[in-house]
Amino acid sequence: MRPSGFLAKTSALAIKDLRVELRGRDTLPPMLAFAFTVALVLAFAVPELPATARPTKLTVALAYVEAGFLWITVLFAGLIGFARTFEVEREEGAIDALLLAPVDRSGLFIAKAAANLVFVACVEAVVIPSLALFFAIDLGAGWLPLLGVIVLVDLGFVAAGTLFAAVAAQTRSRELVLPLLALPTLVPVFIAAIELTADLFLGAAFDDMAGRGWFAILLAFDVIYGVVAALTFELALD
Amino acid sequence: MGDEWRNATSVTHSAWLLSLVISIRGLTVTYGRTLALDRLDLDLGPGVIGLFGPNGSGKSTLLRVLSGLLRPSAGTVELCGRPISSSDEGFRRRVGYAGHESGLYPRLTLEENLSLFARLYDLPARRGVEVAGEVGLSNRLQTRAGELSAGLKRRAAVARALLHGPDLLLLDEPYANLDDDAAEEVTRAIQGWSGPERTALIATHGAKRLKAYAAGGVILKQGRVVVEGRYNRAREPAPRA
Repeated sequence: MRPSGFLAKTSALAIKDLRVELRGRDTLPPMLAFAFTVALVLAFAVPELPATARPTKLTVALAYVEAGFLWITVLFAGLIGFARTFEVEREEGAIDALLLAPVDRSGLFIAKAAANLVFVACVEAVVIPSLALFFAIDLGAGWLPLLGVIVLVDLGFVAAGTLFAAVAAQTRSRELVLPLLALPTLVPVFIAAIELTADLFLGAAFDDMAGRGWFAILLAFDVIYGVVAALTFELALD
Repeated sequence: MGDEWRNATSVTHSAWLLSLVISIRGLTVTYGRTLALDRLDLDLGPGVIGLFGPNGSGKSTLLRVLSGLLRPSAGTVELCGRPISSSDEGFRRRVGYAGHESGLYPRLTLEENLSLFARLYDLPARRGVEVAGEVGLSNRLQTRAGELSAGLKRRAAVARALLHGPDLLLLDEPYANLDDDAAEEVTRAIQGWSGPERTALIATHGAKRLKAYAAGGVILKQGRVVVEGRYNRAREPAPRA
């Protein structure tokens, strides 16, 4: 297949998924409702501490808790969306027509992952400012590195989530199978995400963060998940 | 129907084998403990072939296996001497399949659906509009697929299967829920598609409708072929001028 043909087909499929969601609103509203509700409830779980010039043990612990809250919210909201990844294909048996079309399976994966990436980004666009407001987090210039962390987390998260959504879609208990497969696999990504985000909440310098190796871990898992998912997606659909 | 089939089998079967397209040997499919296809042997040549049989006889299963969507438990299926495989993109380009469901996205319009599949087959988007016209759906292009009636969905499914001009067309109950006029349009579309190098296998309970233009037929019962053959058109009276 020509690269231009591959890109055209992949983008057509991704646009199809977004258009279907725009008209049906089956995936994003439940994700957003879950994420915002959890963020609101968690806002009451964290005590307000007086500002200190230096981080104390308590403020450090609090930064980790807040970072944990943020990423756990994104993780579970994302899983809600991933569970619906293949519902659109199942409704009228479109999956058969899609599997018979001369489209590279890695193109199908990229299209599905791209649509999921948009959904997760929408959740983050709501959750992160909300939690920043609720927890009175002032990132200052830390927003840009946080954006980098978000991009790296999302790539691995969406790659693994989309692959496992395809596996789960072949089973009867797909709502159960998806978290059972995805959660253990995603642990390293979210540990790295929490470590890096907590550093940012504590005002750490970018060089210090990079020196701790969490960026490298995130990048490594992104590459592993992305390559493995693209290569095994055909088997998952079989 | 029985005598016609038996007569047809003896007269034309040897000529048919010369242009063999699909060869099925020992095909077995099981769903758990249910045997859907039982060591089925079948050779299919070019032309429109009817696939008949009672409910549960294995018609839909056979079509799914031939499409490559279902892997058999045992046996082989070859298309022009090559084992079929849905992972083979070349094979997928040659097959058009419409199952029980429409295979369309309910929230997209008919035009959006057909244009999407046209693009996936490297065809211009207008091919979707053309094929919709061939099954009489030109006036439904802007209707969302989910809002089409059952009969219109059937026609849309046939349009999608015909879109890329496949060599092998597999249709499961294309006449279900169709009134006479709509069935006639589907028949015209299939006849317009058919050619000397093309094979269609059409599962239907409406044997009369298919017999009017099919080259032959296969009857399945309990996962096995009980009758197969070609209609002997020479025995039928010529139509009046």
